[in-house]
Amino acid sequence: MMPSCKDITEHSSDYLDRNLPWWKRPGYWLHLAMCVHCRRYVEQLKLTVNTISKLPDATPPGVTAGQIQKIVEKMKQSTKE
Amino acid sequence: MANPTLPGDDELIPRLLAQDETSYAQIVAAYHGLMVHLARAIVGEAIADEVAQEAWVAVLRALPGFERRSSLKTWILRIVSNTAKSRLRHESRTVSLDESFEESPIVDPARFKPNAHWASPPAMWHADTPDALLASTELRNCISDALAVLPPLQRAAVTLRDMQGLSMEVICKVLEVSESNGRVLLHRARSRIQMAIEEYEKQ
Ligand SMILES: [Zn+2]
Repeated sequence: MMPSCKDITEHSSDYLDRNLPWWKRPGYWLHLAMCVHCRRYVEQLKLTVNTISKLPDATPPGVTAGQIQKIVEKMKQSTKE
Repeated sequence: MANPTLPGDDELIPRLLAQDETSYAQIVAAYHGLMVHLARAIVGEAIADEVAQEAWVAVLRALPGFERRSSLKTWILRIVSNTAKSRLRHESRTVSLDESFEESPIVDPARFKPNAHWASPPAMWHADTPDALLASTELRNCISDALAVLPPLQRAAVTLRDMQGLSMEVICKVLEVSESNGRVLLHRARSRIQMAIEEYEKQ
């Protein structure tokens, strides 16, 4: 059965991540082929995901040699307890 | 994802068990940043580093019993996630971890006709690349605000998937959620950010 526009919005991450179950894929493709609104919705989700990955906070914080040393000391200490 | 300076788990685990200091330093250099990043998503900036440090001690304590059913990295991140979650349970007054799985619809139902097709479809955005979107300070702030108010596990899911690039399978192990709940967390988080961009683009 062909999904509704609402169904498309509920599963658009699964679609983008190629996690849709195989039996849902043809209906999903068919809907997107016919519905300009849902194509735009899915494109905008894709753009959102790519934007999230480029946020300044998307990069894990760096660790200095001093911090590493401090944590290693703590680890050594903990094995002595 | 493999870290070039870090030996494989087979070499590394015995050395860590033997309390080899160089290996301690190697693994901290490789993973501490990722751990703080994840802890920040769950408990916030202020105590993220403290939680990650607490997790290192827990890692060493649990390592002799590590059964190798996942990679060392996945297992360490799971310890971070659990340490962060228990801090959250102890310290926060209002936040419930369960709210992450709420069943509310992704898009406001008022935007659909009774037959579930669009009544008020998405409008075109002015920007069509991440760089163009992020060029606006105001929009960057809108996105940061939207991320900040996400339930902790949703923020963790989007951090691990879209920022650290981990697979869904690993993420579900790290957060100790089922595959379907993991996907729900991720999709809700992304959709809220999408909505924040949409709101901004409407102005
Ligand atoms: Zn549609």
